[in-house]
Amino acid sequence: MAEIELNDVRKVYAGNIEAIKGVSLHIADGEMIVLVGPSGCGKSTLLRMIAGLESISSGEISIGGRVVNQLEPSQRDIAMVFQNYALYPHMTVRQNLAYGLKNRNTPKDEIDRRITEAAKALEIEQYLERKPRQLSGGQRQRVAMGRAIVRKPAAFLFDEPLSNLDAKLRVQMRVEIRRLQRSLATTSVYVTHDQMEAMTLADRLVVLNGGKIEQVGTPIELYERPASTFVATFIGSPSMNLLKRKAVEGSGWALATSSGIAASVDTVGIRPEDIVIANENAPADFTGEVKVDAVELVGAESYVHASLADGSPIVFRVPGRSQIGFGETIRIAAAQPNIHMFDVTGKRLD
Amino acid sequence: MQNVVFPNKILPYLLVAPQIILTVIFFFWPASQALYQSAMREDPFGLRSTFVGFANFTAIFNDPNYLHSLQVTVVFSVATAVLAMGTALLLATAADLVVRGRGFYRTFMIIPYAVAPAVAGMLWLFMFNPAMGTFAYLLRRNGVMWDPLLDGNQAMLLVVVAAAWKQISYNFLFFVAGLQAIPKSLLEAASIDGARGSRRFWTIIFPLLAPTTFFLLVVNTVYAFFDTFGIIHAVTGGGPAKATETLVYKVYNDGFVNLNLGSSAAQSVVLMVIVIGLTAFQFRFVEKKVHYG
Repeated sequence: MAEIELNDVRKVYAGNIEAIKGVSLHIADGEMIVLVGPSGCGKSTLLRMIAGLESISSGEISIGGRVVNQLEPSQRDIAMVFQNYALYPHMTVRQNLAYGLKNRNTPKDEIDRRITEAAKALEIEQYLERKPRQLSGGQRQRVAMGRAIVRKPAAFLFDEPLSNLDAKLRVQMRVEIRRLQRSLATTSVYVTHDQMEAMTLADRLVVLNGGKIEQVGTPIELYERPASTFVATFIGSPSMNLLKRKAVEGSGWALATSSGIAASVDTVGIRPEDIVIANENAPADFTGEVKVDAVELVGAESYVHASLADGSPIVFRVPGRSQIGFGETIRIAAAQPNIHMFDVTGKRLD
Repeated sequence: MQNVVFPNKILPYLLVAPQIILTVIFFFWPASQALYQSAMREDPFGLRSTFVGFANFTAIFNDPNYLHSLQVTVVFSVATAVLAMGTALLLATAADLVVRGRGFYRTFMIIPYAVAPAVAGMLWLFMFNPAMGTFAYLLRRNGVMWDPLLDGNQAMLLVVVAAAWKQISYNFLFFVAGLQAIPKSLLEAASIDGARGSRRFWTIIFPLLAPTTFFLLVVNTVYAFFDTFGIIHAVTGGGPAKATETLVYKVYNDGFVNLNLGSSAAQSVVLMVIVIGLTAFQFRFVEKKVHYG
């Protein structure tokens, strides 16, 4: 049980390459924080710096009120779950779970008790005497989790733990990780590049881009009020339509309610799910005509790919099977609260 | 296995011919000669040989000299393998820690392997020869009664060190490769699990190196048994008083120096059985049992 505090943390590699460019973050006790971002954004590096596997070039990291910059990974009271599980192949599942405790001179009966407890929680009791190679990917993942749990650390660190699993198992393990984390109430930092995973797991999301924090907030906050065009396109699937002011105005679109689009606006963002086909009942704060290029049926809904008069692409969602044909010109609309405005640098305007 | 049909009837045979010819001339022919001669006894003048069955074998196994040679070989092989592998492992783990100039160190570590056994033997002989060796001089000046020409244990020590020195490079290469094959995340997991230094080495790294270690154990034993002839011949010639006369050296000594061809052939047949046994052991046991996936 501990808070984690990051204070202007930086990582500079040889050759003056700055991987982490000053990150400050407060992680509350028992909170599940998800670090998300495209590959190369520094999310894994940041996690490894918290773990002690990478040195900290400047700034300060403290876990449970204790500055850990100079501490070995083993002294930081953290447990980590690796992407490739990193189970010791020559040890049985039981030995894998016991290893960290043995190294800390935990009494034997205490080790046995904790292993039984963790094995029960993860439903791996029947595999305890097997070697990792005799287990499936999902079972190995559970053992890796078990190895973290038995230690009862101050914090769990997850480094893309589900990316080696198939899609179905991934959803299942995602739910399980959430449930476990809730019931143990252990502070957790979770790294992923999968925005679905990020949205469903996080108490708070941290979107990283180019070694800097782009935005921190609850999944809903990030979805509803993205701070930048980067976050706007990163969270949500299919991603938000970003239309240049010129394209919008040149295509005869208009913002009905106010005196047009403010002068500082460079980009207008609308989520595909916030656009409707215009009719008498639809909110018509922002409306215009588009030409349909393609329709994608994905099951319960369809995505219509269309273009504005100047050719800018726009995607929107229609429920059920669409009757819209290719090449058709239709009028679509969106309500004012769902329209996001960004300035030239991509920052949100309100 | 897939059956392959070659359009040309003769070319495939021509292509494998060089290998077949080499194997027949340098392996099957001498091996069959050894088998044949191990059952024969030559008269003192080399004019006539008579069939004696297993008499040569019963003779060598009742010969205290042969049993002594067997003992010398075991001591020599175990010492050489342990020294060569231990040193190589130590150097390989150390090389893993080197950050700058890693390639340079590795290249230089490999050079002794390119030195011929007899040359390696001469090198060590010159360094430790009681009459002119630099190190022998240093040792004696510091009160060590160093004379491998008289002291059997010292002679053994010298050939063991020379033989191990040559083999360290080979072992080093395999250990470095073995260390590199250990996933980095395993070592990171171990460091989070609180294992450092020697504990991490013995509980994680060493067990994961086991396949490499077992492979090298067999290779080093075979090396110490057979390939060290040149070193022993150059450094001690099997002496003093047969203290360094290994089985292979005794085959040479009895056969080509003392011209007791029957006994020498019987001894080489025994050696052949040993090497076949070692190889079978490696393939059957090591490759299957000591492997992690």
